[in-house]
Amino acid sequence: MEHASQNPGAREEILSRVRAALKKTAQRREAIAPGPLFAPVANPLERFQAECAANFMETMLTPDSAATAAALQRVLASLPPGEIFLQDAPELRQLASAAAQGRSVRWSSAGAPAESSQATVSLCEALVAMTGSVLVSSAGCGGRGASVVAPCHIVVAHAVQLVLDLEAALARAGQIAFDNSYVGLISGSSRTADIEKRLIIGAHGPRRLVVIIEE
Amino acid sequence: MSGDLLRQFHHHAREKAQDPAHRKTIRWAIDTYDAAVARGKTRFPDWEAARQRSYEIKWEAVNHLDRYLEEFEAKVIQRGGHVFWAADSGQARNYVLELARARGVKSVVKSKSMLTEEIALNPALEREGIKVWETDLGEFIVQLRHEPPYHIVTPAMHLSRGQVIDLFREKIPNDVIGDSHEELVAAARRALRREFFAADMGISGANFLVADTGMIAITTNEGNGRLCTSLPRIHVAFAGIEKVIPRLQDLATLWPVLATVGTGQHITAYSTLIGGPRTPQENDGPVEFHVVLLDNGRSRLLADSEQRDLLQCIRCGACLNACPVYRNIGGHAYGTVYQGPLGSVLTPALQGLAQYQHLSYASSLCGNCTSVCPVKIDLAHHLLHNRRNAVQEGDRPWRERLGMRLWRWAMMDRRRFQLAGRMGRALLRAFGGISVLKPWTESRELPPAPTMTFRERWRKNGAR
Repeated sequence: MEHASQNPGAREEILSRVRAALKKTAQRREAIAPGPLFAPVANPLERFQAECAANFMETMLTPDSAATAAALQRVLASLPPGEIFLQDAPELRQLASAAAQGRSVRWSSAGAPAESSQATVSLCEALVAMTGSVLVSSAGCGGRGASVVAPCHIVVAHAVQLVLDLEAALARAGQIAFDNSYVGLISGSSRTADIEKRLIIGAHGPRRLVVIIEE
Repeated sequence: MSGDLLRQFHHHAREKAQDPAHRKTIRWAIDTYDAAVARGKTRFPDWEAARQRSYEIKWEAVNHLDRYLEEFEAKVIQRGGHVFWAADSGQARNYVLELARARGVKSVVKSKSMLTEEIALNPALEREGIKVWETDLGEFIVQLRHEPPYHIVTPAMHLSRGQVIDLFREKIPNDVIGDSHEELVAAARRALRREFFAADMGISGANFLVADTGMIAITTNEGNGRLCTSLPRIHVAFAGIEKVIPRLQDLATLWPVLATVGTGQHITAYSTLIGGPRTPQENDGPVEFHVVLLDNGRSRLLADSEQRDLLQCIRCGACLNACPVYRNIGGHAYGTVYQGPLGSVLTPALQGLAQYQHLSYASSLCGNCTSVCPVKIDLAHHLLHNRRNAVQEGDRPWRERLGMRLWRWAMMDRRRFQLAGRMGRALLRAFGGISVLKPWTESRELPPAPTMTFRERWRKNGAR
């Protein structure tokens, strides 16, 4: 199939109807002076951790890469036995050699995560202080399924990746948008409140989302 | 003719309004929602400014729809995706059916999409022998019950845990290991996980189409939307043409605003952007990405400059929850895909006022829908506009037209008005229980007819 717009007849029909309709202008409500949407973030790292806690995420602060490896090892040790899926990146290759002892490991360069993966370990594009979110991408963070297939997602991040708000996060998303088929802001564990409005953590995506932040 | 639809609506509305178990379930759900939204709004220093900004983004998009649609389309194609323009639901259904046939698709996983309800996609796929799985928990539940969604955001809001237990025990007995909320969610997870990995095609909706990056934005909490759009080899996204927004940066406003009025969250767990099939640098993901852009009456609505703002709707569900009519009769009584105040104006706009004009009266005219709408759609007045339009198009019953003409005649002259008032009171006193008043009197008491007219009282008491 060609990469082009399909059904050109309907396309022209719809666009010409749209153009004809817009010849008549609609009333626009008077603008009010737009203030800032949100109050500014005072202490980004503190705010990020607080928002993560509210989003049912775990955060771990580490001073250096040795401590990051130890933190990763602690999280992996707490998981049930089984394969883990890792983004194939030099930093994670280095960390995993110390942290993933005894576990079978699948690297993203080998393809998609297995259905039975116990955890994914990936990097991220940014951390968002105001909302307690992790910005991830497909090419940059282990693929499309990496952050959603396994019941636990561990993100290895650096404090310098912390941005203040959604505007900054979307600016970063815009920079990488054309190199990735997927860019997403993940703000907490998978959840649902579809039965009697009761909030349940762990629906189809990860129940646990752990962010290890190296300062 | 609207006769049958009207009768069905009255029948179901009466039935639901008088069902105490239903009232209890819906009241609990909406009270919980109200509390969460009130908390959520406190994160905005000025909620009205957030509404205004959301309104301006959507106004800009809808009033330059051709430009932004063309920009979106060009960017998606540039990224290796396909864009199909569908003038009506038949074209949209046929496109995906032909695609499924050509690619040998046996099963489909779906994330929530009201648009696919609008075009009745699931029955069409099932007629082709394709298995369709709704994967949002609420949608999954109503699909197992062979019911349409009860609410555009919370599809199974009308059901108690007990009803879900009975349903799962019957339909997915091997996946159920307990009766708690947690165990029911886990049962659905187990049942659907197999299907996610087996499916050939994932179908999603789109909350927004971002013109400047050529990406669709999908908002979900469960992660089902992520799995539907990541695991199968083909991803098809359905969106109405009005979903386009100019810039990626607009989501810095629309994502938190939608989350706040939708569920009271400050941002939804998975705020997802998808712009094409997997790139050569990517290790997984669909190899085909299709966007179906549907008109289906929207360009006609666009031509109505009075009600054009309906196309700004972001399907947050706030007006449903705020509506005293919805709170009493629930979502199914409307008999439409979109319910509540939004549905009561959108359905006539898309499907014809002659058939659906009765929905213009499913309103107390309190205006709560207008005041909660995050993109400032004037829903309450559009309900009135439709009443006016129905009269102008001569669609009202002759008895009403005659009655209104008599009323107008009486109102235009003081003596006629006085005479009519006197006759009305006498009639009320004599035949309080007459059949014309039955819809009112069967569940309420009629207040006694006043003994004195306003003018008589004024003469007696003066301006006190």
